[in-house]
Amino acid sequence: MLSTLELSPQTLDADAPVRIAVKNLDFYYGEHKALKNINLDFRDRHVTALIGPSGCGKSTLLRIFNRIYSLYPEQKATGEILLDGRNIISNNVDVNELRSRIGMVFQKPTPFPMSIYDNVAFGIRLYEKPPKSELDDRVEGALRRAALWDEVKDKLKSSGMGLSGGQQQRLCIARTIAQKPEVILFDEPTSALDPISTGKIEDLLEQLKADFTIVIVTHNMQQAARISQYTAFMYLGEVIEFDATNTIFMNPHKKQTQDYVTGRFG
Amino acid sequence: MSLTTPSTVRPLPQVTWGRVRQSRRTADRIMKVTAAGFTFLAIFVLFWILGMLVVKGLGGLSAATFTQITPGPGSEGGGLANAIVGSMVLTFLGIAVATPIGVLAGTYLAEYGKGSKLADLIRFINDILLSAPSILIGLFVYVIMVEPLGGYSGWAGGVALGIIAIPVIVRTTEDMLRLVPGPLREAGSALGAPPSVVITSITWRAAKSGMVTGILLALARIAGETAPLIFTALNNNFWFSPNLLGGVSNLPVTIYQFASAPYENWQQLAWAGSLIITVSILVLSIIARRIVRGGK
Repeated sequence: MLSTLELSPQTLDADAPVRIAVKNLDFYYGEHKALKNINLDFRDRHVTALIGPSGCGKSTLLRIFNRIYSLYPEQKATGEILLDGRNIISNNVDVNELRSRIGMVFQKPTPFPMSIYDNVAFGIRLYEKPPKSELDDRVEGALRRAALWDEVKDKLKSSGMGLSGGQQQRLCIARTIAQKPEVILFDEPTSALDPISTGKIEDLLEQLKADFTIVIVTHNMQQAARISQYTAFMYLGEVIEFDATNTIFMNPHKKQTQDYVTGRFG
Repeated sequence: MSLTTPSTVRPLPQVTWGRVRQSRRTADRIMKVTAAGFTFLAIFVLFWILGMLVVKGLGGLSAATFTQITPGPGSEGGGLANAIVGSMVLTFLGIAVATPIGVLAGTYLAEYGKGSKLADLIRFINDILLSAPSILIGLFVYVIMVEPLGGYSGWAGGVALGIIAIPVIVRTTEDMLRLVPGPLREAGSALGAPPSVVITSITWRAAKSGMVTGILLALARIAGETAPLIFTALNNNFWFSPNLLGGVSNLPVTIYQFASAPYENWQQLAWAGSLIITVSILVLSIIARRIVRGGK
């Protein structure tokens, strides 16, 4: 039944340490309870995909990990998210320092209105003052890792807004990894891109998992199957099933999961 | 329209249909002609004014207009040099006063004051200020500056013009910042940038061309203001002192005085001054539009 899904043989290290542990997490948009009692473990240097129909809360969950929801006073989370044993949703966390350790790539590319070089250097300059030569090296390194260097190396001074959509998204990835975060959150990073750009970004994710813990929200089940080692299926604000990706797609334990991954609803 | 109908179709609805179409087409034509007519009328009046201004203004314009100072009552010759420079100084002062206040207040409304009662109140008061009669602002500055400081001055004139420019800049700054997409701010925050850095190095930059346009439009707005200067900078026929104390000659009030005087020389200079102001405002507006288009 899943012959259409190309499941890549994912190397999965079941002994990898847990990087982020979510415990009894609830989330509210004002009065509305959007997430109910979430419990999940995200393993170090693995890709975990969050899948589920629109409105199931997968993006909401992602936006808690870097506290970006804190920009909006009416949004509130309760429970625990432990990053290296520290609860990041408690009030005494320095959110800006947290965000420099947990990067995020958004659905639509968000290049800043400045040069390509300054875009990539932006995050570095916020918390470090490296000498020019080191900064140049880090910008180049980040652009190379984001598979964008060859396309932009002759126009680093021109505006990041002038790139194509796919290039802009890789620029945003370069900007994120330049800051050397530990975790990278991807919120449907390819849903606004064409298939070729999507392919490039998926290849990139494949390489990035060697160094980063990755959480990706995606609408595209093939994508989740291709690139992740763990998958959480969410529905109506709850995690229905969480397991190794192969299990979720080949051998789900819950009927709802099976119906969703086989395309019977969603 | 040549509607060929098959003979099987009943004729009655067909006839009604045609009549409805006819009456709608007539109504449409009347509407179109009326609208076009009034548009023409409005443009005609506008070009009439501009035409008269150009013809009469060019008649009064000469090299002396830019090199000599305003002549005394009834005397021949002279120009508008002191009034032109005075106007430039006052307008620059006004914008220098209004830009920081306007930009920061607009930033507060768009970035920090979302949904707060205080922001709603400020926005409401700003809208009132936007349409406040400018003579009122002239009187206000007379009371708070001219009287206590013991005399007319260019400083008071600059403040009065600034007060008129502030609401324009507040409004355009807020509007332009609201056009910056939310995810761009989130992307800045997601890198760990505190709100002040997100605003100054991302949001302002993204809205830069719109904000500059707002400032230029405010400049154009105050360049021709007369009423706020009558009670503050006053006007005279001499070069003003560099410390801007005492009256400062300026174009709008010069035009106002010269145009209503019985001397033909003064009237001619009033026309020339009007043309200079109009062309300056036109140029400012064109530059502002260019910037808006260039920013897209």
